Amino acid sequence: MLQTLIQLLSAGNATQRAMFPALPAYSRGLPGLTDTACAANQGCSACVQACPAEAIQVSPGPAGGQVSIDLGRCIACNGCPAVCPAGTIVEDRSTRVAVRRREELILTNKAVTQRPAQLPHTSPFRRSIHLREVSTGDSASDLEIAASNNPVFDASRFGIHFVASPRFADALIVTGPVARAMHEPLRRCYEAMADPRLVIAAGASAISGGLHRGSYAEAKGVNAILPTAIYVPGHPPHPWYVLHGILLAMEHPLAIEAAPARLR
Amino acid sequence: MNSGEILPQPAGIEPVLVPLDSLQERLTMLLRQGSRLGLLTARRIPPGDDLALVTLVLHPANAGMHVWETPLHSAKSAFPSLTPHVPQAHWFERAVSDFFGILPEGHPRFKSVILHEAWPEGFYPLRDAHPVVPENAPARRSSKFLTVQGEGVYEIAVGPIHAGIIEPGHFRFSCLGEVIQNLEIRLGYQHRGIEQQLTEVPWQHARFLAEAISSDSSAANAWAHAMAVEQLLAITPPAAAQNLRALSLEIERTASHIGDLGGICSDIGFTAGAALFGCLRGRALGLGEQLTGARLQTAYILPGGVAHAISLQARDQMAASVRSIAKEFERIVPILMENPGALERMEGVGKVRPSLARDFGMVGPAGRASGVDYDVRNAFLQEPYAWLPWEAAVEEEGDVLARVRIRVQETRASLQLADAFLKRVSNEETVRVPVPDKLPPRSIGAGIIEAWRGELIHLVFTDENGSISRYAVKDPSFNNWTGLAIAARGQLVADFPLCNKSFSLSYSGNDL
Repeated sequence: MLQTLIQLLSAGNATQRAMFPALPAYSRGLPGLTDTACAANQGCSACVQACPAEAIQVSPGPAGGQVSIDLGRCIACNGCPAVCPAGTIVEDRSTRVAVRRREELILTNKAVTQRPAQLPHTSPFRRSIHLREVSTGDSASDLEIAASNNPVFDASRFGIHFVASPRFADALIVTGPVARAMHEPLRRCYEAMADPRLVIAAGASAISGGLHRGSYAEAKGVNAILPTAIYVPGHPPHPWYVLHGILLAMEHPLAIEAAPARLR
Repeated sequence: MNSGEILPQPAGIEPVLVPLDSLQERLTMLLRQGSRLGLLTARRIPPGDDLALVTLVLHPANAGMHVWETPLHSAKSAFPSLTPHVPQAHWFERAVSDFFGILPEGHPRFKSVILHEAWPEGFYPLRDAHPVVPENAPARRSSKFLTVQGEGVYEIAVGPIHAGIIEPGHFRFSCLGEVIQNLEIRLGYQHRGIEQQLTEVPWQHARFLAEAISSDSSAANAWAHAMAVEQLLAITPPAAAQNLRALSLEIERTASHIGDLGGICSDIGFTAGAALFGCLRGRALGLGEQLTGARLQTAYILPGGVAHAISLQARDQMAASVRSIAKEFERIVPILMENPGALERMEGVGKVRPSLARDFGMVGPAGRASGVDYDVRNAFLQEPYAWLPWEAAVEEEGDVLARVRIRVQETRASLQLADAFLKRVSNEETVRVPVPDKLPPRSIGAGIIEAWRGELIHLVFTDENGSISRYAVKDPSFNNWTGLAIAARGQLVADFPLCNKSFSLSYSGNDL
């Protein structure tokens, strides 16, 4: 007992103080786009060939090549920035990456839309939120959600709590591609929740089915089954990505603070 | 055909034809002599896409393996079950029936293992090259749970969605009072059709899907995939790449074991331990992030080598970090392993006898905790493990405490191995060799890796065009789920979460 106390006291405070720091330089992050024209006009489609997730489209345009990347499919393999000859696709290590609409995950190099500087004050969960996690086939994302609750990321300091039953929950946070045998359990889990309630899709698999899209198992992601309020990209999403998604659901001021850094 | 054209030649493993009437005899004979059943499945064989059973027999004593093919009569969709003679075959045969519609006749506990009533009757996804799920077809009959009868016996149904942040599965406990009489485990909720998809995607992209088989074991799955493909292509990755792969695998093992030791603390109700191990796990993930660019080490190991080398500066930082994690680990471990309250919860709980562990082919830490002295790293003398004086920890007790002890010892060993691998990293190394565009036709490649849960196998077959025609995966948990059901018997319901955590099995790797 004494030994345990000594260990705990000498371990000090492990919690990260900086909010949403950029990932370290050796980390891959997600792909991002600059507004430079890409080399599609010269017949380049290297990024499309490199992408295992069918997340990228390129097309020639009058003002230069256009490229779009769907972060809802992207598995963050770093294949595309590595092959882009024009410097259009770059690495983005920012961590405020969750969005409220599926379309916002589709980046383009033409019109860079500014994200709203303010959030609508409509969330009923602004002071605290209780989440039920549902895993459907991406255990790495489960691990990262669990990590967001550890002493380092410490979700509970924001009033975020993970609960054992949908009956106690304000929100579902779903990982994995939701294949056929999880359609019904997920639906029932949602039905067991009281209003108001919302759904967060965490990770590329949960958002779009990810790499599992197109299989006979009908793994098309969460919004094929339930209305989805928040999308957290990543494969798996970093714990900061997860926290951003949850804080966005809460309309927490921290969720929008550094938005411009990502949208150069 | 041009007479001057050079036809691509089959490569990899040469299959052995074993007729159905001698399969059981030959298998039981080899198992008696110390061989292992690696996996048992089926595949379509040309011409005419008749079905054949495929048996992978491993010979740990001489690091060898054989692939047996047993053609089945096209008119008959059944074969005599091997389970009465080889208990380990019981889940394999149930999966063969789910995916191919071939019945193991005489199976003592026959029912589905992965495809349940969410799937239509008569749909066998791997039987045809392009499976289509029939619409409006009646659902499969629900798989029956074994009923325990007698006065006062009641059932507790748990799942598929569980109370914690874990994968889905259904547990059906038959209890008398607070004591579990029988546990039936029903999995398959996460079946994503991965084996079929691995035959459909361009093979150069298959590695990403392979990592998603059980995405908490990306390094192990990526290595097993790369090993199988390299065997098909008859290429050898550079020694420097093998060294970095092993480093990645040991980091994955360290992080997973430390994380689960934290999980054990949580399930005992010892939050201080959970917090300390949880933080330390994060530092182990940081090592993986520095090596590969991602905490869960995705998109790093690939056929031909690894994605990139590390700088000498990163090497030195990682070596310092490994030593500091090892030191911190030794500081924290006693608060769990010398804590009388924690020991009391673990000792004698959830026992699996060595004889049963052997019968059911248990692998990994759970197997070694029940006396199964088998570790792929040793048995198959893999580079770069072969040159290290290295021994796997084995215990005999088979209880929760033994499984936890094994994981403590393995964490130590992994950190030592990681340190040794880092010492071998030098400057200006080639970590990737060029890989041909096409796979050879009619060939078989096998990848076998000691993932943190145990023996992981990828077995890849190509057709006459060099396309992947069958990609069979055997996750380590496939062997061990039966062990959990055995361990739960006679235990308190309240001890089940702890027992489950001590096995820490993959649901998605089982469900594919």
